[in-house]
Amino acid sequence: MKAVIVALSCLLALSGTLAADTCYQDVSLDCGQASNTLALPRCNAVYGEYGRHGNVATELQAYANLHLERSYEYLLSAAYFNNYQTNRLGFSKLFKKLSDEAWEKTIDIIKHVTMRGDEMNFEQRSTMKVERKNYTVELHELEALAKALDTQKEIAERAFYIHREATRNSQHLHDPEVAQYLEEEFIEDQSKKIRELAGHTSDLKKFITTNNGQDLSLALYLFDEYLQKSG
Amino acid sequence: MKAILLAIVGLLAVCLPASATQCHVNPVNIPREWVTMHRNCRMSMRQQIQMEVAASLQYLAMGAHFSKDVINRPGFSKLFFDAASEEREHAMKLIEYLLMRGELTTDVTTLLQVRAPERKTWEDGVAALEHALRMESEVTKSIRNVIKSCEDDSEFNDYHLVDYLTGEFLEEQYKGQRDIAGKASQLKKLMDRHNALGEFIFDKKLLGIDI
Ligand SMILES: [Fe+2]
Ligand SMILES: [Fe+2]
Repeated sequence: MKAVIVALSCLLALSGTLAADTCYQDVSLDCGQASNTLALPRCNAVYGEYGRHGNVATELQAYANLHLERSYEYLLSAAYFNNYQTNRLGFSKLFKKLSDEAWEKTIDIIKHVTMRGDEMNFEQRSTMKVERKNYTVELHELEALAKALDTQKEIAERAFYIHREATRNSQHLHDPEVAQYLEEEFIEDQSKKIRELAGHTSDLKKFITTNNGQDLSLALYLFDEYLQKSG
Repeated sequence: MKAILLAIVGLLAVCLPASATQCHVNPVNIPREWVTMHRNCRMSMRQQIQMEVAASLQYLAMGAHFSKDVINRPGFSKLFFDAASEEREHAMKLIEYLLMRGELTTDVTTLLQVRAPERKTWEDGVAALEHALRMESEVTKSIRNVIKSCEDDSEFNDYHLVDYLTGEFLEEQYKGQRDIAGKASQLKKLMDRHNALGEFIFDKKLLGIDI
């Protein structure tokens, strides 16, 4: 008796991991039934236990939401540096570009969420999410760059986190598709962006510290011109 | 002893800022007579920007819905994702306008908020297009109200903004509404007798595929 149960549970376990012909089974069962409805619950895009174990599915939803929020924050920074008092069109351009990129990524992640058979939840937040205190876009140039650098690191480190969750290599938590998506569409570009922003802060730091800070107003003007013409 | 310590700390606090590193250029004052937008007009413009942002999020939710495997309407999904980006651009255009008029030197952070869209599912393409049409009518109504508050100000009729909103925004609203309304009625006719097939063909049409 015990042996039979063990054999049965083994079989069940197997059918859980290896996606047997389940959609086909639904079709065979439902077609030819007296009723005119087809439920076919297993005819969907879900595979590899996506959304059933671990938090990769919800973290990906949250990753879209993170990009969405940051995209509109960057848009406000771009606006602030474009008012007549700040008048830093190069800084404005830098933030506009960050905003555009984050917006495009938002849509891309949403598409990816649905590609994997899930639905988008705009309310989903990451377990890694840190609530921000006293958030403001009304910052001077170096402060704003520092904030942008921190934000890009937050976005990049979140990709690392989801990648880690996706590649635990255990029976239920291994999703190379998500891992390669993150690597290809996010991780590579993120390192470049972070390096670029860190480089900008280094330049500003030098302008501030050399010549007793006497160069600053001209330096900021020229650096802004440089930002307008590059990138 | 304690008093001396306190005095020293106090003195440091006063002296430190003078020798602290200056990381920014001090703001300057220039004449402000040219900044002429009035309060009510400004406030209604700010609300309009928030409304465009909310519309962009609602369209994102529509794009997400039609992108699902069990819905599988890539044409509708594309239509709505594109609409979401357009709404974001409308918000940007209004912001640009405010900047041109000398606005947004302060209170920039509070200009907009990202809130999850209210509705997440639609029965079919017709339901979504009808929802979009209702939403656009609301936006049009709201733009008309912005125009009103910028025109009716007893001290300052903001002719230029009124002209801009009328010529650019209302124009686009009316054309956009006509487009959605045409799509909704065409699809509704198609789906009358051939529900799934009608929606399928219309979806491919939206993708630019002729079948
Ligand atoms: Fe709009
Ligand atoms: Fe619109």
